[in-house]
Amino acid sequence: MGYRIAVATSDGVNVDLHFGATDSFVIYEVDGLDFEKLEIRDVPNSEDGYSHGCVSDSVFGSESGCDSGCGDRNGCHGGEKSHTVELLSDCRCVVSTKVGRSIVRQFERRAITTFEIMMPINEVLPKIVGYYYRIDNKKISISPRRAFR
Amino acid sequence: MTEKKKKYSVISDVRYACAVGATNTVVAIKGAVPIANCSPGCQLKTTAMLTFENAFQGSVAAGGGNMPSANATENDVVFGGIKTLDELIKSTLKVYEGDLFVVLTGCVGELIGDNVPDLVSRYQRAGFPLVYANTAGFKGNNLYGHEVVVNAIIDQFVGDYDGEKKKGLINLWFETPYYNHNWRGDYQELTRILRGAGLEVNVLFGPENPGVEAWKKIPQAQFNLVVSPWVGVKNAEHLQKKYNQPFLHIPEIPVGEEATAKFIRQVVEFAGIDKEQSEAFIHKEAEIYYYYLEHFSEFFAEYWYGMPSEFVVTADAAYALAYSKFLADQIGLIPKKVIITDNTPDKFRPAISEYFRDNISEGVSIDVVFEEDGYKVEKLIEEVEFTAGKPLILGSSWELTLADKKGALFFEITTPSSETLVINRSHIGYKGALQFLERVYSASVGGK
Repeated sequence: MGYRIAVATSDGVNVDLHFGATDSFVIYEVDGLDFEKLEIRDVPNSEDGYSHGCVSDSVFGSESGCDSGCGDRNGCHGGEKSHTVELLSDCRCVVSTKVGRSIVRQFERRAITTFEIMMPINEVLPKIVGYYYRIDNKKISISPRRAFR
Repeated sequence: MTEKKKKYSVISDVRYACAVGATNTVVAIKGAVPIANCSPGCQLKTTAMLTFENAFQGSVAAGGGNMPSANATENDVVFGGIKTLDELIKSTLKVYEGDLFVVLTGCVGELIGDNVPDLVSRYQRAGFPLVYANTAGFKGNNLYGHEVVVNAIIDQFVGDYDGEKKKGLINLWFETPYYNHNWRGDYQELTRILRGAGLEVNVLFGPENPGVEAWKKIPQAQFNLVVSPWVGVKNAEHLQKKYNQPFLHIPEIPVGEEATAKFIRQVVEFAGIDKEQSEAFIHKEAEIYYYYLEHFSEFFAEYWYGMPSEFVVTADAAYALAYSKFLADQIGLIPKKVIITDNTPDKFRPAISEYFRDNISEGVSIDVVFEEDGYKVEKLIEEVEFTAGKPLILGSSWELTLADKKGALFFEITTPSSETLVINRSHIGYKGALQFLERVYSASVGGK
């Protein structure tokens, strides 16, 4: 049973971007302990500077009393609905260096995990893949050689 | 036919917290700050169990809701939690003015194999009073955690010592802090008794603990006094090996004049100090004690309605023993069932059972049951057939409805206690025993 991982990267080698600062996400397809690059997905509205895709929504717009903008605004619960979350809703987890609280919550609602780490992709992915492999197959330990190639 | 012992992995209605609840052991030392290296729920649950839903004891500045916690999440599980812990230690050292910091690693850190000792030893080398303890919840309960934390502080903070021992100075190893809701008052009463008997007492926890300097003084003591059926024995054995310090193990917490006088004589005998002062103290205290008891005896003889004659106790080993003995030996009530709920290590169980059989009272022996599963505890009490008078049940909040059903007098003596509030109360020694009687017989006359 496969799943997908979204990674915020500027050079395709390192996880080095804040969730809100990235223009695109690299999507990896995972099967068991094997993974490969599937595609690059561009974040909507990246040209207007709000690359994380905060677009006013009638439900979460100014009527709710919240200022527009994403991230954790004090006193507001949830911020605005992010299109990026929508964009990555088929992934199992999202990896970036930092994610705002409201985005984390929006992902959590869709049962998607957010990881915050600054590390080369070829080190990050084996760790995440190995972790999910253990959960899915109820294995307490797996051979490190298989997980961390 | 022998019944095969089934091993259950889940129990209901627990009466203790997990090992990482030993953060409260650290809180009980003045100037010490616990650093919880575990997930967010861990501290919430253990602190709620031990300081809130346990007679609402509250906590000090570094405890309760202010406790520094790593709040380890999935991120730390996948990539390791050392960085988070490092940041937490740095901020804790900045925010708290502490004399001792103890990092307690819970299940998450232990399972993913974070090298906490390495990280902490870096701080230790830099001169910070930092100590680590492995208190994963899967290893045991908060009593186990307490012993682990104490040994960790002794090894990493107190350190080596080969100087002189001071005659008459004793280290008091008594109850687990915050576990029994009377612990603060009990510590004070026991300290008062030992000081009155002419001993110098090094108090390591609670209101009379002067701070971490008491811990530095541990190796200078003549001996260690352990007053508990099993908690603290591991620490005393460790101290015996480390500092060549003997220990006196008294399983029974003294309640009432007779038991306390016997207790004092036993300690004084072991210490080998002059008996004049202790005998004078016993005499003086006994006079006051019986002055009050004489007044009480009038009620005891004349009041005819709703007096308890049979009792059931469910509590941790220490207080189950202390209270059962007092009720059976001094008040003359009949023990129907005593259940020990603190998951006593197997090694101590035979000795404790034997103590209950032989040392309760003349002609009275108790077959004690070790059971930590609330469901089975309830079944055990339900099976008890009370024959005369009103039954008396001493236990935790879990027994509330059952006590109602049985029409029993009931009050809370162990964790959790959600219908009691304690600021300063004691049920042991001279003064505490009278308070204990007040509580039992207030319940008989319709009070709470």
